[in-house]
Amino acid sequence: MRLNSFKNKNLEELATLLAISPQNRPLKKFIEMGGLPSKKSEAYRYFNIESLLDGEYESLDYTPKVVNEGEEIVIENGVITTAPQGVRVYYEPCEQIDDDHFDPLYYLSHALYPRTIKIEVDGDRELKIVHRFTKSYAIINYRIVLFNQANRHSTIYESFEGELVQNSFIMYGYDMHIAPDSSFRVVKLQTLQNQNYSMLASHKINVEKNGSCIFKSFDLGGDHALQLIKVELDEYAHIDAQHLLYLNNDSKRGTVSQIIHKGQHSTSNQEAKNILDGASRGIFDALIKVEHSAKYTKAIQNSKAILLHDKAYMVSKPQLEIYIDELEASHGSTTGQLDPQQLFYLQSRGISAIEARKMLVIAFANTMIETIRDSRHQELIRNEFDKVFYSKED
Amino acid sequence: MITLDIQNLEAKIGEKQILKGLNLQLEEGKVHAIMGPNGAGKSTLSKAIVGHYDVSIVGGDILFKGKSIKDMEPEERAKEGIFLSFQNPVEVPGVNNAYFLRTALNAKRVHEGKEELNAAEFLRLMKSHLSELGMKPDMISRSLNEGFSGGEKKRNEILQMLILEPDVIILDEIDSGLDIDALRAVSEGINKMKDGKRSFLVITHYSRILDYIEPDYIHVLKDGQIVKTAGAELVAQLEEEGYDSIAIEQ
Ligand SMILES: Nc1ncnc2c1ncn2[C@@H]1O[C@H](COP(=O)(O)OP(=O)(O)O)[C@@H](O)[C@H]1O
Ligand SMILES: [Mg+2]
Repeated sequence: MRLNSFKNKNLEELATLLAISPQNRPLKKFIEMGGLPSKKSEAYRYFNIESLLDGEYESLDYTPKVVNEGEEIVIENGVITTAPQGVRVYYEPCEQIDDDHFDPLYYLSHALYPRTIKIEVDGDRELKIVHRFTKSYAIINYRIVLFNQANRHSTIYESFEGELVQNSFIMYGYDMHIAPDSSFRVVKLQTLQNQNYSMLASHKINVEKNGSCIFKSFDLGGDHALQLIKVELDEYAHIDAQHLLYLNNDSKRGTVSQIIHKGQHSTSNQEAKNILDGASRGIFDALIKVEHSAKYTKAIQNSKAILLHDKAYMVSKPQLEIYIDELEASHGSTTGQLDPQQLFYLQSRGISAIEARKMLVIAFANTMIETIRDSRHQELIRNEFDKVFYSKED
Repeated sequence: MITLDIQNLEAKIGEKQILKGLNLQLEEGKVHAIMGPNGAGKSTLSKAIVGHYDVSIVGGDILFKGKSIKDMEPEERAKEGIFLSFQNPVEVPGVNNAYFLRTALNAKRVHEGKEELNAAEFLRLMKSHLSELGMKPDMISRSLNEGFSGGEKKRNEILQMLILEPDVIILDEIDSGLDIDALRAVSEGINKMKDGKRSFLVITHYSRILDYIEPDYIHVLKDGQIVKTAGAELVAQLEEEGYDSIAIEQ
């Protein structure tokens, strides 16, 4: 399959080509938005989407398999293979997609995946979701619906494993429904290094009244990946989004997001820390929108970048779009280098230049890593960090 | 025995020549004080010795234990046993003070062919020095110099000196901004390091600290050169008559 062959097709033509009904809602939305994105599309301004769409990929068969019992939820090439006891994981069509997502591929992804993987996180628990990819030259596309019940508080650790996935293109994403008075903490850790797959993760997060979402992404290493996140906040709802990027080589990765305050007294706090080495490009293109209905909102947004190499480049676009006065909002963005005085100070005590750099880089990232409650998981992130630090090609 | 031998040193910061043929020899086991007016080049000299990137050496040489160090990396100089207590120690948020110091000490120990100290062994060592210096135990867990008061920063420099046990110790205005208690604690720390082997280079504006650390030699640095060397009695003359009274002896 070549996604580019969808270009300039109208709804009927595309429906026929994909053998799905022209009444399919995601497909209609996809066409309404103008079909395939280009480098002019808002969501992909800073990301090289066209070469991805131009690839020739094998399409996979997503026939459900027998689900084994295990400690974590494993989704292998878009199919559930393992789930823990007591967690409801099943397939069902997605009845609730976003009406107005900024990413056209959010809709295409929905249209191409006939079901969704539904995960009901009931009870207060920790859950691990492992995405496993083992197909090369393939398009791996799937959607997940995550939901809970009121008054529940759970944590999800998300990780990625890839073997033999050269030149594959992965599209996946969550439709997350966070019930009133409940909370979801999502901790994503993705180290890509010589795995040669590209990924678009297109999410929609709905936080209902008095609910709370904590979304922390740790994106390390190389290759190409983008997370596209749309968040809607109801009354008194809260999101705390933290994004750590640590890139090397010619990696291109980052976050494009829209946080929409719909309800009164909703709060958002979004923070990005970016460390860019080699000829990498980091992206933080993030809009916070406060609608008329969202009085007494509080929105804070901040991005900080450290460039470790003169070829590294940070696209940092924090934006606020505000329709009311009754709010508290701030945003900011800085880009700099490691402080030579600090480096020298460490070296003057006998610490090698390379270790001194590492100490400062980790120090910058630490404020985010330290917010992870589980100390083993903190350790895991630090180890991945070390790997990236020592593996760069100069 | 000469530990540090500075020969006809010429050094620039940017395009500006600061040190103009400076000669100075530090003797084993002795305390050398350098005094001189603001802007004379005292800090520049200390930075040249430790290899600071601001300073480029354009002439002369610096020998340590007979070997030229002017092309050595700063960390190599440190591991060889040269230590500078900075006039203005930089704050390093996010780098834990104890972790930093243990990394530094272990780098030196590895260099000397010794075993590294583990976290527990190091902590014991650090704690014993903290109490000697009248430093709070939370210095272990805080970030390196972050939010430290002027006095705390200077004590932290002395703590590093005590732990790293260097052979040549340069103290750049260690006394500035210290109250009398801090001055006493810092001086005691320095005096404890005197072992008849180590050399000290005490850069100061005021004679106050010299009451606590008795110098063997006083050098006057003016306009990029050492213009006079004498015994401790020179301090009194400088106090009374100022630096202008010193005629260039050459
Ligand atoms: N980073 C710098 N850039 C430019 N000039 C400097 C810098 N550091 C010091 N200087 C200049 O070098 C001269 C000597 O400074 P310094 O060695 O700090 O003097 P002292 O320590 O004796 O007061 C002064 O004229 C000062 O202005
Ligand atoms: Mg000075």
